[in-house]
Amino acid sequence: MENRPLEYDYTVAKMFMLTTIVLGIVGMLVGVILAFELAFPSINTILGSGLAEYTNFSRLRPLHTDAVIFGFTLSGIFSTWYYVGQRVLKVSMAESGLLMFLGKLHFWLYLVGVAAVVVSLLAGVTTSKEYAEFEWPIDIAIVVVWVIFGMSIFGLIGIRREKSLYISVWYYIATFLGIAMLYLFNNMEIPTILGTSAAGESGIGAWYHSVSMYAGTNDALVEWWYGHNAVAFGFTVPIVAMIYYFLPKESGQAIYSYKLSLLSFWGLMFLYLWAGGHHLLYSTVPDWMQTMGSIFSIILILPSWGSAINMLLTMKGEWQQVAASPLIKFMVLGSTFYMFSTLEGPIQAIKSVNAIAHFTDWIVGHVHDGVLGWVGFMIMAALFHMAPRVFKREIYSKSLMASQFWIQTVGVVLYFTSMWIAGITQGMMWRAHDEFGNLAYSFIDTVTVLHPYYAIRGVGGLLYLTGFLMFAYNMYKTMSARPVEESELQSASPMGA
Amino acid sequence: MDIAQFQAYGYFILIAILVLALYGYIYHLYTVRKDSDGHDYEEYSNMALNDDITDTPVSELSKENKK
Amino acid sequence: MFHWLEKNPFFFAVGVFVTIAFAGLVEILPNFAEQSRPVIGTKPYSTLELAGRHVYIKNSCNACHSQLVRPFKSETDRYGHYSLSGEYAYDRPFLWGSKRTGPDLMRVGNYRTTDWHENHMKSPASVVPNSIMPGYAWLFTNVADIDTAYAEQLTVAQFFSVPYNQPVPMKDGSTAVVKMGSSVADANALALAEAKVIVADMRDQDVKDAVASGKIPEIVALIAYLNSLK
Repeated sequence: MENRPLEYDYTVAKMFMLTTIVLGIVGMLVGVILAFELAFPSINTILGSGLAEYTNFSRLRPLHTDAVIFGFTLSGIFSTWYYVGQRVLKVSMAESGLLMFLGKLHFWLYLVGVAAVVVSLLAGVTTSKEYAEFEWPIDIAIVVVWVIFGMSIFGLIGIRREKSLYISVWYYIATFLGIAMLYLFNNMEIPTILGTSAAGESGIGAWYHSVSMYAGTNDALVEWWYGHNAVAFGFTVPIVAMIYYFLPKESGQAIYSYKLSLLSFWGLMFLYLWAGGHHLLYSTVPDWMQTMGSIFSIILILPSWGSAINMLLTMKGEWQQVAASPLIKFMVLGSTFYMFSTLEGPIQAIKSVNAIAHFTDWIVGHVHDGVLGWVGFMIMAALFHMAPRVFKREIYSKSLMASQFWIQTVGVVLYFTSMWIAGITQGMMWRAHDEFGNLAYSFIDTVTVLHPYYAIRGVGGLLYLTGFLMFAYNMYKTMSARPVEESELQSASPMGA
Repeated sequence: MDIAQFQAYGYFILIAILVLALYGYIYHLYTVRKDSDGHDYEEYSNMALNDDITDTPVSELSKENKK
Repeated sequence: MFHWLEKNPFFFAVGVFVTIAFAGLVEILPNFAEQSRPVIGTKPYSTLELAGRHVYIKNSCNACHSQLVRPFKSETDRYGHYSLSGEYAYDRPFLWGSKRTGPDLMRVGNYRTTDWHENHMKSPASVVPNSIMPGYAWLFTNVADIDTAYAEQLTVAQFFSVPYNQPVPMKDGSTAVVKMGSSVADANALALAEAKVIVADMRDQDVKDAVASGKIPEIVALIAYLNSLK
């Protein structure tokens, strides 16, 4: 063993690959259940009326969003970091006992955190703030996990052989810093056990309960500064980090313009944070912040498209690879969906459009074309690229991959088209007046009309989940196959002839 | 000067500085092309393409350089 | 100069942090200097209302119902006066929501009654035909957590000077006092007194019996909260 040449150590990357797959299934399955509950309300009591409290739409909804964001996506981010980080810095985790220990600690603490989140959300222990539903004990655990992640990043950078940091590493650093700042400020809360009664009693009530440091409008402002940028630093920045590594690597093509990638980075960093105000248009936050949110959302198209176009142009002259390799298909369609949803978002952030779109399913559609089409596709592509290299086995089935790609693409298209129609229909019906100036529709009219779109959306979600299960099966068969590779695969695509 | 005015001036000045910095950065990247170590920026794409542990780094961080 | 940043991870990280923190500094912090003041007529939540607010949050009612009336004719026609910042002065957390699968509830206390809510929570479709809202039967058996609501009242009074046991101005020029108990037992007694007023308008015999025996089911607290939304 001692004389073996130094190799990259993917132990931690493999661990997080497993949670990416498992939590992806959980998050998407809950999502499909929720979709059908809206179309067919009797599904709310699918496990009987005794368990209705736990299978009901409202109780499950935070579990869906958090499982997808903090389960599937975050695991994917961690997994790719522990793979890409070593490679572009040209240093193995096996070279440092401390980093290896931190990596494993990171994984196990993360797993404990996930278990705590699932139990608490099902029990209804929540602060109600979207994507920050966790009460203070879990918040503290999350901060610890995040600090360990940061130590892993900077520890690996500290012992690197490559002097310059590759663009993906920039994005991973930004992910770490961005989420750290946002999460800390948004979750400022005071545990209610600190309250003391006039009679001198303290420690009253549930020990885990807390109250937000901010009230009303300020709370909303901080929450959407967080909520919008959790999307930035969870669904955009780290996914861009992935595509900047995996697409050049898988296609064997250098990035079209490295300079453009540097420019887009600083542009994205500066602009993204301002745009949170677009979630609060026509609310009670100061008008200038709403306008600022709108304007910056539109300017945000520039750096977003800078990255996306850079990726598509990387394939210049090599488009036959898109036809030949399902893996490249995932990444190219992912970039396309990224362009698409970073155009759709700014459109929805225009005040007059937002007046119709806000509170409707169009917003839900927008989130999902981004997350299913861009985040989901990119993370699956990254894992498909990593699997042959970390497990030293060929991908089990290429045709399964290709069918998965088409099933999921159809799923995403059904999802966002139905939600567009549903959202715009409902938005227009809410504001419709008859010739006497009275409201034309009662609220329930605007709900019943959505039934067919809710059903189509459910089918779209089901197709995506089916594709994800095919992905999980393909990965499982790859992991459990006999090893065939003597040495690690190089840059050539495992799909190549 | 109340806080809103202070905010407005601060915002304007910072935006102006940042616009200058951004255009300065673009100008710098596209005219100089090479960084202070003499590497063309586009060479850095190779950090991903040649990322095996035995590959030569684009710009090596030599041991004696490290404190 | 720029290149130096890219090869020095520490200063690079500082640079990124300054760039991303900038927006928050300019946009968010200054607004905190000007804390939103309650508009006249806005009172802090009573113990039972706060317990009801916890039930609302526990069941993520905010996943489908907003509490924000935007300044459009169609919204003021449907829900009442548009929202004012000061009306949310005692809302920790805010409950604006981001999706209206069901109607806005900002002023639901103006046009729905205890009796309506009781029937609706048991079986929404029996009150609103074709409603896709599920029933919330467990609210009729689960007991509301008054102690935690009391602890929250104490905390906000202590840390944020929320005016409990003090006169607050009302719209008609009078003042109102929202009482907060001096001990856990006192707070429970106050909540029970409030609950008795609510149950008087309810039909469910089990709920009536529970309140008569000193227990407050979640539904009673929730209705107290919904009735307070005006």
